[in-house]
Amino acid sequence: MSFSTQRSDEMKCESCNEREATIHISKGNGFEKTEKFLCEQCANASFENDFSYPDDSFNIQKLLKSLSEHPSLQQTKRRPKQCATCGSTINTIVQMGKFGCPDCYTTFGSQAADIISRVQAHQSEHVGKVPVKARAQLKTKKQLEQLKGELAKLVEAQEFEEAAVVRDEIKALEQAGDDDGI
Amino acid sequence: MKSRRWNRQVMMMGYDHISPWMQESEELPVEMSARVRLARNVSHLPFPYMMKGNDAIAPVLEKLEKTLTGYRRVEMSGLQFEDKALLVEKHLVSPLFTKQGLLSYISEDESVSIMVNEEDHLRIQTMGVGLPMMDLYRKADAIDDMLESEVDYAFDEKYGYLTACPTNVGTGLRASVMLHLPALTFGSRIQPLSANLSRFGFTLRGIYGEGSVPLGHIYQLSNQLTLGQTEEEIINNLDELKERIVEEEMEMRSWLESEHLLEVKDSVYRSYGLLKHAYRMPLKEAAKCLSDLKLGTDLNLIELEGFQFQKWIQLIQPAFIKMRLNEKDIEITSLEHAVEEERAALMRQLLGGE
Repeated sequence: MSFSTQRSDEMKCESCNEREATIHISKGNGFEKTEKFLCEQCANASFENDFSYPDDSFNIQKLLKSLSEHPSLQQTKRRPKQCATCGSTINTIVQMGKFGCPDCYTTFGSQAADIISRVQAHQSEHVGKVPVKARAQLKTKKQLEQLKGELAKLVEAQEFEEAAVVRDEIKALEQAGDDDGI
Repeated sequence: MKSRRWNRQVMMMGYDHISPWMQESEELPVEMSARVRLARNVSHLPFPYMMKGNDAIAPVLEKLEKTLTGYRRVEMSGLQFEDKALLVEKHLVSPLFTKQGLLSYISEDESVSIMVNEEDHLRIQTMGVGLPMMDLYRKADAIDDMLESEVDYAFDEKYGYLTACPTNVGTGLRASVMLHLPALTFGSRIQPLSANLSRFGFTLRGIYGEGSVPLGHIYQLSNQLTLGQTEEEIINNLDELKERIVEEEMEMRSWLESEHLLEVKDSVYRSYGLLKHAYRMPLKEAAKCLSDLKLGTDLNLIELEGFQFQKWIQLIQPAFIKMRLNEKDIEITSLEHAVEEERAALMRQLLGGE
């Protein structure tokens, strides 16, 4: 912002249109330059109000404030998805060529799958060793999936007595799983 | 004048010699040492490069140490640059590890090293010479089981073992074997061979891994893909490819012998002369000359008592040489010259020259 004082007999203050304009204020530069000719009183007031541009849409403080009032908008549209465990975004992952933590693999679901498929020559499924702890969990999970499928078929065929037996099996398995902390 | 005492720590720990596992090994014509490493991470913990401080990994280490008996704990922060370089030259830790690693657990015979906070939380590495690759894997696998009983690994049903870099996800397994391929190099066969290997998900590169320059015609063959194959498949495929490359190298050697015997003999004896009589020896030249001697002994063109290619190749590396200079007073500006002089002196001594 720059300003200069001048004496002008013809010009009246742009703000009050009464007093003589004694101060010239120009703000911005290039394409966005604004100029005002004001009296001393109105000029002082304008510093306090920060009149700046007639259209105030680019006021960054206002923008941030409005965003913080709409957290949903902030999360879904303005900010890229972040891993809750380590704070990585897909951009940081791509930049580093590394995931930030093991949870990133699930946080960035399809994008992670894409990256993996690209570096692993289109392979996408692990077929090797499974840790002992995970082995028990996976076994229970597979059993449950199988039983639930069976249950659905039995219900559809209206064989309710057998369905009740399978349902109890599922319950027992789920409870055992809970006990193991699965 | 400044006295250099770089390697106090590693010397005190006894890492100033060739590793016992290598000392005890027999040398083969083409195949050199082999390594298997498993990349493992702890669940719900940021990967090392994202960690703020080491507090988060400390409880994990406490648990691990319950099972790691007979391992020496080597902390990176306690080591100076040259100490770290020596561990790299012995392949006990990776170059990356010397920059950001926390600590390493090293077995007594130095055939096992577990790096903490390299690119991944844990990297289990086993090494050997002339052993079936599967034996090395089984050894790493057993250590893995042992550690897993104490730590919750980051494992995903679909992607397997989760790693910082997606190039290691799945098995987390990288198996590699060093091969001495002078005849394939002379025959300009390395480039086409390397291009073919990459189509099968394998790669051929310099001895210190990614981006390193081949030294003394030694190359490292390793698997590139870690997902979609079982550990056994990866190891078996690597073994098979290794056998094929060894066969090709041997065929090329026969061709050299029948078609270019004089040239081969000439380079073997030139190199012998240089190593026995030179007073300055840059690393590359020394490695090249040793490679020639190895080819010469393999083809029975020269007989050298006590010649051990793999061990000598390690002894000429910069950190090993600088360790020999340890107690001598050398000005920093003339360090490179001093190293070259010392390397030449070592070679003369080993080959019985003046």
